[in-house]
Amino acid sequence: MPSLLYNDMQFSVEPSGDRWDITYRLPSGASALAAAGLFPGLSEADAAVRALALVKTIFPVGIKSVGPDVTHPNRIGDLKIVGPDVTHPNFIYWDKDSVSSPKTL
Amino acid sequence: MEIKGSVALVTGGGNGIGEAVVKHLAKAGAKVAVVDMVQKNIDRVVKDIKAMGGEAVGIQANVTSEADTARYIKGTIEAFGQLNIAVSCAGIIRDGTMLSLDKETGKVSKKLGLDKWQAVIDTNLTGTFLTMRDAAEAMVNGGWQGLLVPISSVNKVGQVGQINYSSAKVADALMPKIIVGEFLMRGIRNIRCVAIAPGYTATPMLTGMNQDALKAILEDVHLGRLVAPEEIASLISYCVENEALNATTIEITGGLCYPKGIAK
Repeated sequence: MPSLLYNDMQFSVEPSGDRWDITYRLPSGASALAAAGLFPGLSEADAAVRALALVKTIFPVGIKSVGPDVTHPNRIGDLKIVGPDVTHPNFIYWDKDSVSSPKTL
Repeated sequence: MEIKGSVALVTGGGNGIGEAVVKHLAKAGAKVAVVDMVQKNIDRVVKDIKAMGGEAVGIQANVTSEADTARYIKGTIEAFGQLNIAVSCAGIIRDGTMLSLDKETGKVSKKLGLDKWQAVIDTNLTGTFLTMRDAAEAMVNGGWQGLLVPISSVNKVGQVGQINYSSAKVADALMPKIIVGEFLMRGIRNIRCVAIAPGYTATPMLTGMNQDALKAILEDVHLGRLVAPEEIASLISYCVENEALNATTIEITGGLCYPKGIAK
């Protein structure tokens, strides 16, 4: 049962017949299912590789920022008018998670 | 197209009509991606599908975000290797009249805020467009059989108090004609598009409303009750299996009528 640490989240790849489930630990300590019944027939090692790639897609690393929506300015001539976007917080993706980036104090 | 073995992605799959759709398709043998804003709803639905013996992946995302849309399409394909069915159930309401008048002066006292307009247009129209566009892209590039299902509403005819919602839903209802026309023009023959326009449906939003108001709504429904989300899911399954259904919008309302019995 491979265990994955990604962005300070603990994931497990667990067998389910000839398939694999991906579980993760909630902040409460309980466990939740990220996916069920994946990768039929794959070995444990191959399933772990596929699971890590999937987990990186499902749980992106980044921050939510509420504020000006700089990606969609209204243009009047050469003027860009940037309105506040409080209904759709921007999600700024990072390409490094806390595991791949060494912690510094 | 057979449901068994196909891969379906449902936005808003964490509750209401979306939840019914993912469970119905999973029960019929489809592999499903449950896309929703609320992680705990996703966790619950994925757990339920696992208990049914189904295959599922949950992806938390905001359908109004282009980056998120690309991410849940990618995640679905990473999990299951293909994509065949995309159902755009994610939707919100922010009801209000365009103008409110002061009873004493007759002058305008309040206008519908741009925030209420934009949030509904972004989720119900732009969100649907992004999902349909990126799902179609994946289906074309993958060469997979596909069905795109925008969810419209019977209120596409124009509902007072819903200028934002009705405007988005009438546009969603137009999508099948435009998309399939484009597919024909481009020689894309492997993807169909059928929109569904539900009437008043027994989702938590409606069953939790004022019961007198609900009773008044049902007086105009020939069926005499709300449409069950499972009935909409069943219709979508039928659309998957019946390949002659294409480039159209199907209403499922239980027979919604104007007062005095004229069918809408």
